[in-house]
Amino acid sequence: MGMEERILIVEDDADTAAAVRAEVEALGCSADHCDTLDAGIAAAISTPYKVIVLDRMLPGGDGVEAMARIRAGGSTALILILSALGRAANRVEGLEKGADDYLPKPFEPEELRARLRALLRRGTMQVLDNDLLAFGDLEIRMKARTVHVKRAHVAVSPKEFELIIYFARNAGQVVTRMQLLENVWNLHFDPGTNVVDVHVGRLRRKLEDAGSPAIQTARGEGYIFAPLGAAG
Amino acid sequence: MRLAALMALAVTVLSMGAMLLQYRLVETRMMAAQRSLLTADLDGFAALYDQRRIIALRQAIDYRAAAETGEEMLLLMDRNGAVLAGTLPGWPKGLTPEGNGFAIDGAVEFQDGGARWLAVARELPGGFPLLVARSLHPVDDTLAALRRGMLGLLAAMLVAGGLVGWLAARSVMGRIGRINDLADRVAEGELEARLPGDRSDDEFGLLETHVHGMLDRIQNLNRATHRLSDTIAHELRTPLNRMLQKLGRIEGQEDVTADLKAEMRQAIRMFDSLLDISRAEADQGTGGGLVPVDLSAVALEVWELYEPLAEDKGLVTEAQVQPGLRVLGDRNLIAQMLSNLIDNAIKYCSAGDRLSLLLEDTGDRHLMRVADTGPGLPADIKGEAFERFVRAERDRGIKGHGLGLALVRAIAARHGARMTLPEADIGLVLEIHWPRLQQAE
Repeated sequence: MGMEERILIVEDDADTAAAVRAEVEALGCSADHCDTLDAGIAAAISTPYKVIVLDRMLPGGDGVEAMARIRAGGSTALILILSALGRAANRVEGLEKGADDYLPKPFEPEELRARLRALLRRGTMQVLDNDLLAFGDLEIRMKARTVHVKRAHVAVSPKEFELIIYFARNAGQVVTRMQLLENVWNLHFDPGTNVVDVHVGRLRRKLEDAGSPAIQTARGEGYIFAPLGAAG
Repeated sequence: MRLAALMALAVTVLSMGAMLLQYRLVETRMMAAQRSLLTADLDGFAALYDQRRIIALRQAIDYRAAAETGEEMLLLMDRNGAVLAGTLPGWPKGLTPEGNGFAIDGAVEFQDGGARWLAVARELPGGFPLLVARSLHPVDDTLAALRRGMLGLLAAMLVAGGLVGWLAARSVMGRIGRINDLADRVAEGELEARLPGDRSDDEFGLLETHVHGMLDRIQNLNRATHRLSDTIAHELRTPLNRMLQKLGRIEGQEDVTADLKAEMRQAIRMFDSLLDISRAEADQGTGGGLVPVDLSAVALEVWELYEPLAEDKGLVTEAQVQPGLRVLGDRNLIAQMLSNLIDNAIKYCSAGDRLSLLLEDTGDRHLMRVADTGPGLPADIKGEAFERFVRAERDRGIKGHGLGLALVRAIAARHGARMTLPEADIGLVLEIHWPRLQQAE
């Protein structure tokens, strides 16, 4: 990530806080931890954090309700809600109230890492400014909504195009099935079936048939879009 | 309102009965008085007749007739029909002389000159018809006045009774109406609705207090349901979270840890479904949280998500979705519901089966139909397939927790949609009738 980013963890469960800290440090960032809401808000306002990992049922109140106070205090941090209130309705509520991401507990470490990476990357990459996204011989044209591999057109469905755009935005990083379901399909519940796999599989075969093994499976974690062969 | 009218009517009827009794009494008394006057007349004439027969009678009648009181009718004739004395020019029609004494017995009433008379008609020895009659018009006048009075009173009582009844009923109905309105609002899901103002110090006030007590209890239970789901989530997910973190530290047994993670995910899905069901049931009927949603768009999105899965399994798929159908709903819940239905269908169907989705406007409702040609609902659970944890013996081998259809039903109910299972020759057909969105503009 280059420059060391600071991440604030507001979490009252010590074990969870330790697990989050481990992931944050594994990403090369430094972590501060508060275990009450008021301390968290004070820290968020006084220090320019890049990301805040915020719990909901905290001593002192609900993290989702505190987001407005954090924003009002001038913080521009991206907020990831990490909460046991994990039903679809809770997630939608959190996102509607301004969270940048919402991960229900229990979470898998890989899932949290993928989401933290996506947040850290957001704002630093201006990939969508250009009409053309080029990854070696794989080219995506935003306006025309076309995908070319080695100058040959690859026919993709509208959903597959959205899928490849999301992959491209997070190129080189693991994206999880849950992230895909939330960001590409805008669905915030666990369908139980790995229904996303079928879609990724189809897109992946199309790219492979055209000669680009851009989408790889990250075992136990999700997928990684690495058209240049360099896994991040 | 009806009670008030009934009471007013009962009072009126009773009063009228009492007055009728009095009327009869007055009538009898006055008739007796007229009769005794007539008896006195007859006694007088009888005494005269005893002394000097017809001559005296004729003189007396002449004398009396000259007074022209109008109150009496006297007539004495000879055997040839000529008037000897009296107030009449001739014998009145419809009256035949009977007997020959002066007794009152056998007195008859008859009409003459538009008035009623009590008359005694005789034929005295030698063929002299004699008529002695008393006018009944004092009786009739009094009775008529009495009747007019009674009618007036009746009208007054009806008006007064009606007015008092209406006032009483209006106040009673107003207060019952308040409670009825409150009950309606609560039934529509507005659990926090209460009657404004102070409770009055009577039975109505007591009733309102009791109703409020009941509503407080219902609202508390509902809040408890909501709070419970949050608490369960927190208390169960936090330890599960620690377990999951520790699982991540186990190395070298990837298959076992992956299985464990999948099991945990399944358990979380199960209690999420339970909580979603109870939350949807608790929120049933309340419009809160529902916004206009493009049902067609959601249906297509979920269909497109699952279609490749169905195709990969070898199902023949078909979707007919009429665009632009809107409902008041929760997009995520609708997607979850449809996802459950389609996922179920794919799970139970095998290669070659058909799976179809239909969404169309049927006038007053939007019809959503998910149909497959799979094994359908087994007969042993047909009636209760939408209850929690109901699974067919047949499906023990298929992964699931028996909450999918219960959640579908709860979500349908949350949206005021009606769910039906039409008879199908083959497979499972499920229809959901969505209330259309009332267009504001």
